[in-house]
Amino acid sequence: MSNPVPPSEADHASQGTSAKPLLSRRDVLKIGVATLTVTAISQLVISGPFSAESVQGLQREDDHIADGTKYQWHMVIDLSRCIGCQYCVWACQATNDVPDEDMRWNVVFPEQTEVGVSFYMNRPCQHCQEAPCVRVCPVGATWVRSDGIVMMDYDRCIGCRYCQVACPYDVRRFNWRTVTEPNPYAPNWGSPEVPRRPRGVVEKCTFCVHRIDRGLEQGLTPGVDRAATPACVVACPVNARIFGNILDEESPVSRYLREHDTFRLREEWGTQPKVHYVRPTGNQG
Amino acid sequence: MLQAITYRLTHRPLQIWLISLSITFVIGLIAMVIVLFQGLQVTHLSDRVPWGLWITLDLSAIALGAGAFTFSAAVYIFRIRSLEILVRPAVFIGFLGYTSAMLVLAMDIGRPDRFWHPLVYWNVHSVLWEVTWCVVLYSMVLMLEVLGVLGESRLGKRWERLRRLGHLAHRMTPFLAILGMGLSLLHQSSLGATYGVLSGRAIWYKPSMPIMFIISAIAGGMSLTMLATMIVGRLRHQRYLPPSVCIGVTKAIGFITLGYLYIKIWDWAVTNYYSHNPDMANMLERLNVTTPYSATFWGIEVVLSGLAPALILLLPNLCERRDLAMLALAAIVFGVIVNRWNVTLSGLVAPPAWSPGVLGNPVAVSYAPSLVELLVTLGILSYALLGFTLGVRYLDLYPRHVRHAADD
Repeated sequence: MSNPVPPSEADHASQGTSAKPLLSRRDVLKIGVATLTVTAISQLVISGPFSAESVQGLQREDDHIADGTKYQWHMVIDLSRCIGCQYCVWACQATNDVPDEDMRWNVVFPEQTEVGVSFYMNRPCQHCQEAPCVRVCPVGATWVRSDGIVMMDYDRCIGCRYCQVACPYDVRRFNWRTVTEPNPYAPNWGSPEVPRRPRGVVEKCTFCVHRIDRGLEQGLTPGVDRAATPACVVACPVNARIFGNILDEESPVSRYLREHDTFRLREEWGTQPKVHYVRPTGNQG
Repeated sequence: MLQAITYRLTHRPLQIWLISLSITFVIGLIAMVIVLFQGLQVTHLSDRVPWGLWITLDLSAIALGAGAFTFSAAVYIFRIRSLEILVRPAVFIGFLGYTSAMLVLAMDIGRPDRFWHPLVYWNVHSVLWEVTWCVVLYSMVLMLEVLGVLGESRLGKRWERLRRLGHLAHRMTPFLAILGMGLSLLHQSSLGATYGVLSGRAIWYKPSMPIMFIISAIAGGMSLTMLATMIVGRLRHQRYLPPSVCIGVTKAIGFITLGYLYIKIWDWAVTNYYSHNPDMANMLERLNVTTPYSATFWGIEVVLSGLAPALILLLPNLCERRDLAMLALAAIVFGVIVNRWNVTLSGLVAPPAWSPGVLGNPVAVSYAPSLVELLVTLGILSYALLGFTLGVRYLDLYPRHVRHAADD
């Protein structure tokens, strides 16, 4: 500070005349471009679109169980059978440990068609093949498994909630708080089979994927054997929900789809849901 | 004693300004700590309306920071040298805008500890992933550009190393201008595409979204830079802009705003007037039952913050009527914020009808920000204003004295 001739002065003078600058503009450009290229290439290979994970189309570790060439899981909900008893809702809350009523993964509520037929609308995750939520997730924390189930990775989710904004069926629930209360539906409606999710991540219906994977390992048939079938399907007292593998022509779900007229919610959106509905007739309960 | 205090308060407006901003900034910081500890339950956001005030602030801060890339490109790529005086304030405002946006995003994501995930875990199909990358890279560009400003400021005179670094950064300016323009053209548009790609929400689902976002961002960003420059000039009794530059920039903003309105009107006409999209009509109908959506769309976005300021900015002798010019520029800035709010909330408040019965039973969800949301917003605004004030005072964003031959 107290130097009679500060170094800056000298430097400035030398740069102003003929001495070579530290780096020329061309050098800086070169360094910049080289750094960007190296970063981009290394990222592409480590975790980007050319990584093993992405080349396989957002597939994950557990995909070896989920062989999409053998299994495609679909659900039929027969709205002409549903009596609105809420058993499926409670079984889901117990099994997937969702004590908060506002966070239900699977909802059943009274509804009327446009011509005035009363029925109970059911809505689990639609497990869209072209899922809007999957496309938008900035970290790939949600993906369509090869057997068609829309998965969630709670360890990767950053809680930006773009998937909630993208999902037109309102199936996704955010953990606004740490849910600490005991589960009022356990053990009467089942026991929690998956860990509770932490605050700050999004969750949703999984088609009870843990039951499917464990069942297949044990040689059971999801949709037929109760232990390998989603809790809501098992709990229904009137068999309004039918689940199974549509690649197996003799599965309950394939037979039901063959024998009934079904529709899917808002097919014109191009989401290709894997939940099919049978129209309400107004004759139930 | 009392007289002395009142004298001080009335004769030192800058001190009062800085003290008030510091107070609101600290209040905002406390609110942010509450959010970090309590999580997003302290907001009024819900599963139906998961995005609200903070996303609006984030989108507005980024849009209004677009002056940085616009003026950098104008000066260093298109070689419009007369605009050089606007580059430093524009870059600094951009830096404040982008840091504000990142700060509010850190509040808004459920897991701030995982803010780095988009950089490591890639989903190239996600428009938000592209936005994240562009914003991070562009913030680095802005930091380098600000480093150049720092090096040339009085701080650079004090610290030799800073001056050298600043000099180095300054030498990269043309490269940074090109990079910045590329990144900005990408993410300013993709922020609109964030809404435009969602097939289930008819009011958003249209390819015009990214285009309207980039054009409104350019108009808004230029307006904010101009407005800030004129306010500082007014307070310091200086005219930083020669009349020809002032007229040129205000005219450009006027024409860009008219271009934006042209696209906006056709976008509305095609999707609402000359055709019928049942989903969009249904959503609009529900929006208008519970919200002033159409009133704000036409009244503010189109007329008060669009057509009116655009026409004012095209007046031939506008730069002799600085108050009118500042009013018009402020109206455009306000319009950008209203637009980002309207876009975000319109698709959420009237959710799409998916149940076979809901079509006959319109529902709308309500949202009004909570106190904590407002305080965090206040804190971040204070940060930006505080940063700008200190920047003007200590970083020599504007020359000390200017005198234009044709002026005064």
